[in-house]
Amino acid sequence: MEERQIQVLLEQAYAQRQLSNWKGAIDLCQRALAIDPDNGKAHAALGVSLLGARRLSAALVEMRIALGLDGNEPYVHYAAAMILRAARKLDDAWAHCLIAIGDAEADAGAYVLGAQIQVLLGDRAKARELLGEALELEAAHTGALTQLARLELSVGNHATAAERALAALQSAPGNTDAHVVAGFIDLARGDEASAETHARFVLTQDGNDEGGLGLFVAIKVRRNPVLGLWWRLNSWLTTGDDGRRVALMIALFVLARVLIIVTDEAGFPTVSRVLWFVWLGTCIYTWIGPMVFRYWLKQELDDVKLDPTF
Amino acid sequence: MTAYHIADEPLETSLSAYVVRPQVPLAAAMFAGAWLAWPWFAFNAIAMGSPTRKKEVALCAGAFAGTLVLAVVLVALVRTGVITSSLWWRLGLTAIVAFKLTMSYYISTVQERTFHVYQYYGGKLTSGRVALIGGYLAREIVLGLVAGPVWAIIVSGAI
Repeated sequence: MEERQIQVLLEQAYAQRQLSNWKGAIDLCQRALAIDPDNGKAHAALGVSLLGARRLSAALVEMRIALGLDGNEPYVHYAAAMILRAARKLDDAWAHCLIAIGDAEADAGAYVLGAQIQVLLGDRAKARELLGEALELEAAHTGALTQLARLELSVGNHATAAERALAALQSAPGNTDAHVVAGFIDLARGDEASAETHARFVLTQDGNDEGGLGLFVAIKVRRNPVLGLWWRLNSWLTTGDDGRRVALMIALFVLARVLIIVTDEAGFPTVSRVLWFVWLGTCIYTWIGPMVFRYWLKQELDDVKLDPTF
Repeated sequence: MTAYHIADEPLETSLSAYVVRPQVPLAAAMFAGAWLAWPWFAFNAIAMGSPTRKKEVALCAGAFAGTLVLAVVLVALVRTGVITSSLWWRLGLTAIVAFKLTMSYYISTVQERTFHVYQYYGGKLTSGRVALIGGYLAREIVLGLVAGPVWAIIVSGAI
């Protein structure tokens, strides 16, 4: 009875994840774990849901619990591979993915995940091979077709990438990932209008879709230099871990202060004063920059309406 | 049926009405001084029921202790005649301010992670504006509480 209840809750959580409703999925997994706190699959499902909500540290905790409780369950390894890929522990992710793929009942999704890990590990040939296997299992697997389109785009084969993306969209017309890739292909071919239509479609489905936002901003960056400048600066600052960002900010602060002090002590007070104002301007820009950026982005997103002819 | 508790989920506390965004104590570190910022970070961690509150409180204590050590060393170098020029004195002070800012940024980054989850669960929030402005206005009074450079170095802000 309990087992059946948990199964139903996990299936509902899966459905919520498909809708990108991470909060709903997390709540359902928590309900399943309230019934049986030692259910490995429920911990794994919770880990994947937390990953969707960008709570990586908690997802890693759930993954470890799931592996400890149910280390023979292929789904637990699949979830572990997904979480470890997000944590950029790629070798470990691949090891878990291999176990998931090795299962007799492995579906195409495990191969697609393996291909994504291989792309990050730099082995595109292996990724292609895995995607080929995924398509053998399921000829019209949207994830596999989308990933293939992404691979072709990354090597500049725009025509082949477009074919794959079209096949993915024919297989699942509402798939947001496929729309994002199709949009980036259009953008690479210089068709901004079509790319924007794809971005608008994705953002109409989910205003927080990372890929959709990335595509939308990539289009806007080409049109609005101020928005683009902040986006690039922010992307550069926030790439990598928090420690790197803090170190960079402090290094800039120390550099500015040292220059101000040294020029002042060397008898150039005017230069020192100018440097001080430059530093103040940088501080103000980095302080209000995110607010201006969010305001512009909000205005753009408020305007997102799907082209009726699409 | 007890709800399953997730590792990064904040605990409920009676102080949740006083939680502020971690950027507010960070701003206090710049405009008011460490005397307000670090205790505020520690209070915020406890009020939020942060699962990393022990680490955050320890970081605040470490920030005070580290600044005290650096301030004592700098003042001793001046008093013993090792540092004689104003250039090196100012550069030494810059190094200490950089340490204080590093600690403040780091604590704010750690707190930010819990804060996102706290907000995710609909946690209460206050702006902290009054305390920030009050802290800015009170900084001269706090600086004057104890005579001597070590106290001024420890409690002063970055701007």
